[in-house]
Amino acid sequence: MFTFLLDLGRCIGCQGCVAACKTGNDLPIGAQYIQISEKTTGSFPAVTSRVTNQRCLHCLDAACVTVCPTGALYKEDGLTRLDRTKCSGCTYCVDACPFGIPKMYEERSSKCDGCAAVVKAGGEPWCVKTCPSHALLYGERETILIEARTRLIMLQKRYPNARLYGETEAGGLGVILVLPDEPSAFNLPVDPQLPLTVAAWQKVVQPFSLAMTGLSIAVTGVAALIARRNHVQEVKRLHRTAAAELVEARAAVASGQSDGGIRAAAELVEAEAVDGGTVKTEEQS
Amino acid sequence: MARATLQITRRTFLKSALATGGGLALAGHALTTANAATGVGVDLSPDWFYGGEIKQSYNCCSMCPWSCGLIATSVNGRVYKVDGNPADPKSRGMLCARGQGSVSFMYDPDRLQAPMRRTGERGEGKFEEIEWTAALDEAGAKLKAIAAEYGPESVAIFGHTAGDFWFTDYLAQAWGTPNAGKPSAALCTNPREEAARLVYGTAVGGHEPLDWDGSSASPTTALQCLVLIGSHIGEDARNTVMQDFSNLWARGGKVIVVDPRMSTVASKADYWLPIKPGTDTALLLAWMHVLITEGRYDVDYVAEWTTGFDELKAHVQAFTPEWAAAITDLTAEQIIETAHVMADNLPRTAIMPGRHVTWYGNDTQRMRAIFMINALLGAYGREGGIYFNKPPYIESYPHPPFAVTGSAGGCSAEPGAEGNELPLGPTGKARADGAQRTFARGATALQELIEPMISGDPYPIKGLIVYGVNLFHSLPNPERTKEALKKLDFVLVIDVLPQEHVAWADMVFPEATSLERYDDLWTVAHKTPYIALREPAIEPLYETKPGWWLARELGLRLGLEKYFKWETVEEYLNERLLSIGSNLEKLHAAKGIIIQQGKPYLADYGDSSPFPTPSQKIEFYSEELALTGYDPLPLYEAVDEPPTGYFRLLYGRHPVHTFAKTQNTPLLSELYSENDLWLNEDAAAAAGLTNGDYVMVENQDGARSGPIRVKATPRIRSDAVFMAHGFGQQAKGLTNAYGKGAGDAPLITRYKLDPLSGGAGLRVNFVKLIPAAKREA
Repeated sequence: MFTFLLDLGRCIGCQGCVAACKTGNDLPIGAQYIQISEKTTGSFPAVTSRVTNQRCLHCLDAACVTVCPTGALYKEDGLTRLDRTKCSGCTYCVDACPFGIPKMYEERSSKCDGCAAVVKAGGEPWCVKTCPSHALLYGERETILIEARTRLIMLQKRYPNARLYGETEAGGLGVILVLPDEPSAFNLPVDPQLPLTVAAWQKVVQPFSLAMTGLSIAVTGVAALIARRNHVQEVKRLHRTAAAELVEARAAVASGQSDGGIRAAAELVEAEAVDGGTVKTEEQS
Repeated sequence: MARATLQITRRTFLKSALATGGGLALAGHALTTANAATGVGVDLSPDWFYGGEIKQSYNCCSMCPWSCGLIATSVNGRVYKVDGNPADPKSRGMLCARGQGSVSFMYDPDRLQAPMRRTGERGEGKFEEIEWTAALDEAGAKLKAIAAEYGPESVAIFGHTAGDFWFTDYLAQAWGTPNAGKPSAALCTNPREEAARLVYGTAVGGHEPLDWDGSSASPTTALQCLVLIGSHIGEDARNTVMQDFSNLWARGGKVIVVDPRMSTVASKADYWLPIKPGTDTALLLAWMHVLITEGRYDVDYVAEWTTGFDELKAHVQAFTPEWAAAITDLTAEQIIETAHVMADNLPRTAIMPGRHVTWYGNDTQRMRAIFMINALLGAYGREGGIYFNKPPYIESYPHPPFAVTGSAGGCSAEPGAEGNELPLGPTGKARADGAQRTFARGATALQELIEPMISGDPYPIKGLIVYGVNLFHSLPNPERTKEALKKLDFVLVIDVLPQEHVAWADMVFPEATSLERYDDLWTVAHKTPYIALREPAIEPLYETKPGWWLARELGLRLGLEKYFKWETVEEYLNERLLSIGSNLEKLHAAKGIIIQQGKPYLADYGDSSPFPTPSQKIEFYSEELALTGYDPLPLYEAVDEPPTGYFRLLYGRHPVHTFAKTQNTPLLSELYSENDLWLNEDAAAAAGLTNGDYVMVENQDGARSGPIRVKATPRIRSDAVFMAHGFGQQAKGLTNAYGKGAGDAPLITRYKLDPLSGGAGLRVNFVKLIPAAKREA
């Protein structure tokens, strides 16, 4: 099972990985699988600034795979692959991802697939290969975990708050992050949860769509249209529910009974409300 | 990123669809082909899994002057990807974003494609395409006419980036103009190189010789404390430095960053000293005060390898931390504590020399102070300190004696390129830039050649060849440069892109990019001296020609046949390689790199001194400066303060851009298309500005640039603003860069000449902000 290591202590924000990913995968203008920014807190001169990184974290139990009605998203060697030829453009994955990663390009899902083809040909993912800060590694999960723990020991000498992220979060991630600070400093949820909607979709929508994928491509197209229409209605309904839950969650937080799961759902709704589902970075480097 | 802006062409989509479907089988095929063809392992991405003829060529990246070794992979004559060359001591198999952008730079649709002759007025940008033969004949005739009337000294040659050698060094010296230079000298590193020569006898060179890894990369031999004065590693994305920094940081090495702005590297530092701009020398003097008065310096080293210590000790007595604190806006405790950290780690402590050090006009003295601290810490020639670099052994191409010895210098120059006496050209004239008149010495100062073009003093400059220098973004006061261009008899511009100054040329030669051409061997003074191959991946696109060909064709038309006996560049390169028992074929088989033995440490010099100063020691007190009337020990000189309502203009790097060269490169423009104006958040609030607002920036002389997006942040002092260099380009032919952001160069109408090195101190301009609307796309 393959895993990435992403060391946000070492990362110096040079964007070599971003560019290597784009050139290696021949991504068109606008498509970008890695986004780097900086998040700053405090006031001059007592300032903290952290390099943040947004990329697919390859959840071991991936919500995007769970909700994908066509099998375009699937797990392989521990990573979350994407076969764009099978994508129907339903955007379920965009809404389901607890980290806001998949984006739609030309009405099909688009995200890091761990450079599947390159790795199968015996190479390294392009981002790992070029990283001048040695902030990225790729290998067997056990090896990566050992390296991550070794790095953490050194990092904690400088940052007592340093920790690993991805060993257990969201059921384990295919990217182990070495963080100098708590997850929120990097725009990561402390306890990422699947949106409440995922389970509903899994029960209701997916069996229907899976049946459809057995048919010809033309029929899949029709299925996608139906699925998309169903989905839009579903999203609206669920958002109404989630909005109500948000009110409840806020009440709970106010009375000291916070619930990370509900908050995650609330954040999803808020993000969607703010800018149509893409996650905004606080500060562009 | 808005969904509406995302586009994929149908062709690309189909391509990736095909690739995903058939990836595995094709991958196997491609790999086999590559192995059979080159013997080098290849890994390929989905989109180029089409078999075909795969070729790998070795080159040095020319997206920045660092010049990392790379491997360019092309399939059926199209370059798809460049990767770091693992055999190269600089890239070590990795590349930064700009390096990854080489292919996008080459395939930029805005490129100059054919030779052109001006048809309108200078600056109008009206041209007609002509044939190469006619273009070369005409350019040759114009240059010859100037030389016949005034001497070849009256033609200046400005060059930069890989390939400048053919013009600023080879052609200039063969023909006889001493007025050849590079912006990397007086607009960048001259003060550093002069200071290094004065203090320890040799230049810093292209690769700052910090001994990051020592002999074993362990805490007992590796660099343990790094001090940066304004250097912003990461944003200044020199690949090897980022790698080395990362390792130092991860093994727990101490990092001290002195910068008015919390750069990315400052955000990772153990100590960030947000110093008041222009007061660095006061801090350096106070650090020396602490080290010396507390006896926290390397006593044995100082006794054995330095002279003038007693004078220095007396000199710094008065410069207490309290004295410096009042000047620098730091606390005495900060100054003392950081000095202690440096001392605790000696000799594995170093202040990094940095590259662009032309700041305030007193820069050579500031750099001397930096080098003196390194000497007090015993860093030179010590493991984990600062090693001695050594150029690789290889002969020059055998040519008759040159008509003049050049002074082009630059950050890639061999140490000691310029001597003590100014060489004279064929008609008896020395450099016109004021060397030994308005400044003591140093490589050719480009900015000092502008006035002679206008005034004719000390003699007229009538012709100009510009190779790869973005004239209006690298020299200060572009409006004055335009005045000078109007006065010239002939302007020849050689470039890849239709930069703004191209519109001022009489003749334009479009050049092939480095991936399309051979260049001279890249010989690097280094801990492990090495020689790197720069061979083409594909034939030149369009009607473009490589620099070596252009220089030779011009040379033949200037009557310089005896210097250009080689007909092809392969012949030239093989002749040089023969001197070390190699040739192009062998060098390619050696993965493009030949590494030689260095002499990095004191122990490698036996009983002889590695310091070629007059005293053969590191010189704290400079007899040379005392004799010539300069301060023999560095002094702090106060700089002008910003007037009320104005901020000091600071500028620097963004990780995906180099100079004013890459802003139009499609890939890099996508990653960072317009620059931001860093403004202290409280100052922004006081001015009624918030993050994302746009402003015009106007300097003390009324020069304007912008509109530029405001980045209101706590990461910068409130008396200065900062922007990434190279934006605000006004050339309409640059589809992606045109009108994006603001440029620092148009706002630098003033500079302060460094009397020791000819460096142009550029951080002496002040700006105010005027709210403005965002420019319409």
